[in-house]
Amino acid sequence: MPEQVQKTHPVRPGPGPGGEGPGPRAPRVDRPNTEEILKRMRKVDPDQAKRYRQRTGE
Amino acid sequence: MDKQRPIPAWPIYFGLETEFGIAVRENAEIDVVEESIHLVRAAAQLGSPNLWDYTREDPHRDARGFRAKELRQDGDEANFFSQDRQRPYSFEEIKSDFVLRNGARFYNDHTHPEYSTPECSTLLELVAQDKAGERILEECARAASRKRNHTVCLYKNNSDFAGHSYGCHENYLIPRMIPWDRIVEGMMAFLVTRQIFGGAGKLGWEKEDQGMVGGFQISQRADFFTELVGIDTMNRRPLINTRDEPHANPKLYRRFHVIVGDSNLSEYATWLKVGTTALVLEALQYDRVPRRFFLADPLYAHRSISRDQTNRWEVDLAHSGATTATELQNDYADWVGRYVDLDHPEKRAVWKSWKETVELLQKGPNALRDRLDWVAKRSLLETFREEQNLSWNDPWLQSVDLEYHLMDRDRGLYYALESGGEISRISREEDIYRAIQQPPNASRAYVRGKCIQKFARDLVNVQWDYIAFRWKGQTYRVELSSAFPGVDLERYCEVIDRAQLVSDMIEELKLEPIGG
Repeated sequence: MPEQVQKTHPVRPGPGPGGEGPGPRAPRVDRPNTEEILKRMRKVDPDQAKRYRQRTGE
Repeated sequence: MDKQRPIPAWPIYFGLETEFGIAVRENAEIDVVEESIHLVRAAAQLGSPNLWDYTREDPHRDARGFRAKELRQDGDEANFFSQDRQRPYSFEEIKSDFVLRNGARFYNDHTHPEYSTPECSTLLELVAQDKAGERILEECARAASRKRNHTVCLYKNNSDFAGHSYGCHENYLIPRMIPWDRIVEGMMAFLVTRQIFGGAGKLGWEKEDQGMVGGFQISQRADFFTELVGIDTMNRRPLINTRDEPHANPKLYRRFHVIVGDSNLSEYATWLKVGTTALVLEALQYDRVPRRFFLADPLYAHRSISRDQTNRWEVDLAHSGATTATELQNDYADWVGRYVDLDHPEKRAVWKSWKETVELLQKGPNALRDRLDWVAKRSLLETFREEQNLSWNDPWLQSVDLEYHLMDRDRGLYYALESGGEISRISREEDIYRAIQQPPNASRAYVRGKCIQKFARDLVNVQWDYIAFRWKGQTYRVELSSAFPGVDLERYCEVIDRAQLVSDMIEELKLEPIGG
């Protein structure tokens, strides 16, 4: 590998998420509020997957 | 082990290209091509159309050292083009190929809107750019819905449950000096087992043109891979894709093109999937993987891991009995740790998360429902199934599966988890909003994005590795094939920042006309 490919950033990327470093941030809640999500799931049309047809892609 | 060699980027650039599913809520019999054209054109305010140069693309070049005479998909493509010729649109109008102000490419790939992130050199930027793509497509769906007077729905998934798959491809620009055979043998078991954290989950089994409800599997794509190594991407898909189209100096670089992964909604899954793959590629510069990593039957293992309802994910090894996908991933992480500089903050963060994720998967996946798509989705489906007293074969559950992927923050189920604070994040909202409007800083995409922002009227052609524009009757080209951080990139970035007119770039970069 040519040495020229060693990298230095012309502009430093921003700080990590929330200033906590370049890794994941834990969720905000310990206990999920499943009721709100259940409401969304109940609204899902039971037949939408049957109607959902796509052409093959790459 | 040779740690004295210069360590290049990890890799130099990476990017994601994602095909989205498209449907209209009120009408299942829509013309998907027509809808896709209108959808992509809704991005007009964010970019410039019809600049993409197809003459510099050659998907027939094979990393094994030859040029394929034909791809199995050539017939399908010819068929699509033949159908499309009947439409009242030119080729350019059907493609509606936009280069966006953030350096991304957004176009209609036959029937699927496809968003290609700009090249990024950090995972933080890549995740933000991938999320920016989601936001752009969500807004395009709203605009197209208003214009078309119906509800356009976009899905970031990889299958229609009936045997038709579309991809999320990953691209890693890496040194050409890594022998191709070493990449194939080194990446095979890693990619086959990576689905335990990269999978997006799917309810049902499929093969080409067939599908059935029932049975949850962890990968959207595993049903569609039937070859070990090959150049095709639409039919008889291979675990290792050999397309050799680096979009950079081909003597120095190759682009490792991964087609086996799922589209992820989870930022953590994207971050870990791309980050671990990049780490393995970097380690392959120094050594081959041990023979004890080789799988006896990678294709069988790929499907069996995805479908294993016990989550033990046992696989047979070629030379030493059996192991599990978690053990293999753990072994890969330990092996990578011997070669890669883990003082690098982003590499260290990925590596630590890799080890932690594998350990949690061994204890039981549910602890990862805030991080992994397949675990989050399975948890949602279980909750809903119990509440509604449904069997796993109930088609309603497959519809709920589909809704997980909907690009609509008011309706989509992944976004419900996210807005409820139940999902780990990588990006901040301000990172995503910036990525919608601005290219990554440490990338040649910076030059592309800024040219779109400043000189769109002067541009005549764009490719990943060059930009051409016209000035006073002459055509000039800015070559970006060596524009990498630490090489030429800084100079190009400074020039484009200072330039008020295209002529400023011509003067500063000492460009010579290449034609009229």
